[in-house]
Amino acid sequence: MKLDKDARKLTKGLFQLSLTNGRLDQKKVSAVVSKVIASKPRSFVGILKEYQRLVRLEVGKHHAVVESATPLDKQAGDHLLANLRAKYGNDLTIEFKTTPELLGGLRIKIGSDVFDSSVRERLARLETQLTHA
Amino acid sequence: MSSILQELESQISGLKTSTTKSNVGIVREIGDGVARIEGLSDVMLNELIEFPGGLYGLALNLEEGEVGCILLGDEKGVVEGVEVKTTGRLLSVPVGKGLLGRVVDTLGAPVDGKGPITASAIYPVEKVAPGIIKRKSVSQPVQTGIMAIDAMIPVGRGQRELIIGDRATGKTTIAIDTIINQARINKANEGKPGFRPLYSIYVGIGQKNSNIARSLAVLEAAGAMPYTIIVSAPASDTATNQYLAPFSGAAMGEWFMDNGMDALIVYDDLSKHAVAYRQVSLLLKRPSGREAYPGDVFYLHSRLLERSARVDEKNGNGSVTALPIIETQAGDVSAYIPTNVISITDGQIYLETDLFYQGIRPAVSVGLSVSRVGSAAQIKAVKQVAGKIKGDLAQFRELAAFAQFGSDLDAKTKSILDRGARIVELFKQVQYNPLATEVMVTTLWSMQNGYMDDVAVDKIKDFQLKLQDYFATRKDAVLAKIRDTGAINDDITADLKAALSEFKSSYR
Repeated sequence: MKLDKDARKLTKGLFQLSLTNGRLDQKKVSAVVSKVIASKPRSFVGILKEYQRLVRLEVGKHHAVVESATPLDKQAGDHLLANLRAKYGNDLTIEFKTTPELLGGLRIKIGSDVFDSSVRERLARLETQLTHA
Repeated sequence: MSSILQELESQISGLKTSTTKSNVGIVREIGDGVARIEGLSDVMLNELIEFPGGLYGLALNLEEGEVGCILLGDEKGVVEGVEVKTTGRLLSVPVGKGLLGRVVDTLGAPVDGKGPITASAIYPVEKVAPGIIKRKSVSQPVQTGIMAIDAMIPVGRGQRELIIGDRATGKTTIAIDTIINQARINKANEGKPGFRPLYSIYVGIGQKNSNIARSLAVLEAAGAMPYTIIVSAPASDTATNQYLAPFSGAAMGEWFMDNGMDALIVYDDLSKHAVAYRQVSLLLKRPSGREAYPGDVFYLHSRLLERSARVDEKNGNGSVTALPIIETQAGDVSAYIPTNVISITDGQIYLETDLFYQGIRPAVSVGLSVSRVGSAAQIKAVKQVAGKIKGDLAQFRELAAFAQFGSDLDAKTKSILDRGARIVELFKQVQYNPLATEVMVTTLWSMQNGYMDDVAVDKIKDFQLKLQDYFATRKDAVLAKIRDTGAINDDITADLKAALSEFKSSYR
């Protein structure tokens, strides 16, 4: 379903209302959602979906997904989290994943930034260098 | 010193870890050659975006939380949810002399099956046109080899001259003729000191493949391909490629300009280019304006044509001449795209259907065709013989309308009518047969000096051909003299007079 201009504007306003000092505020988010559900404005399902998308993107900006070929030990994980928090702020959440396809190394995704030192990526780069040079 | 070493060391150790930072996004929607991508927070406008499988896209719409992207290839294999990444690069094409004689697509890849191309450099497709300081005024001619154009609507190197007319009025033919003439001149003067060859680039946008193949065959038969690049974005190509093709052509032309050479680009045609851009814009959900074209369709053509320029010695000492083509519908030059392009260019060659079917080919309408800067670039000899022709023809057409009513005409009117009918006859020229400047000069000189007044109008063409033959076989020295001096002086006038009276005595 396509959202019209006014609904889109309203969603953006609601999203702005859910921020405190530029960061998402959980209390405000639930307040906004319950208020919208209670008052049922025109095309409110669409509004909520769009709102959810904006919140998802915002949450994604402060959430790191760390992939490794084998599970990381606790110490390395803590060290990594400390380093990432120093760079991306203290409210950064972290999630560890094991992806054997990486073959080795790490792949960290925060928002749309990706830091890749995996063997798979290096092999892929080598392949493009050899085929397109 | 040690700080430099430290810096180097840290850079090298940084390399060892070889962690790449990239900015990625997720494809949310894909179809019709357009993808909408979520994420890509660091993407820049017009940046190349890498899709899995070696496909690239161009970021054209940067919206809040979403990026509109056009695909430079087949979208098969790309599905919703795949990850794409930014590259930090702009779309670029190979340029250089290695492309001469080749047929390439929008991205500069060969499509003629003649093997890989060795490029001198890579140029970005979108580039800002040279500014005011870098430019020089237009003062060198582009010889089209078409008498009606070289005499009345001269084109200079660095000019943008629009060729406009209905379908099947000979627009492409004029462009191809011009390319053939450049090749002929380049070949004849190769290696001469001070001679500046003019390389041609033909950009076919939204054309039928058969049309491009025909043009290619004509150019090959005329031996013009060694000096020509063909950029082909036929009707079967994606709208994205059709939209980008003229910009690729312009980039290839700019390399010649930057390296002290001259280039001529034919954009065939910009009406279809505007249509391709309209398609891309509508699919990207950009707001539409008049005739559903997007608001920036004027800017699209102005930024393309502004890239034709003549630059001074410090900035490359070359030029790019543009011959854009526009197809009108039922002669309507006041439609949206034609008026836009007319206002951008430095003049237009207007071709009329009526004239075409009257047998006046090239069907150049003298009244509506102009060249705003070309007269400064016209060769002196041509200027001497052709200076008054445009006025003569204008008078002729005015009186011709009158003459239909009555039979009583005074001597003056009659002489104008006779002269006009002969000029019209003289300007008829078969296609793919461009004339050398000196041949044009001798023909026009003999007409201006009354040597054709006693030849019947239906015999003019015959007279002209025999005269050309006569000069080519027996008075080669006079032609060479005109070619070398570039002007008609008393000496040449005497030679011409002698030659003409000799020819007239033998002509039957």
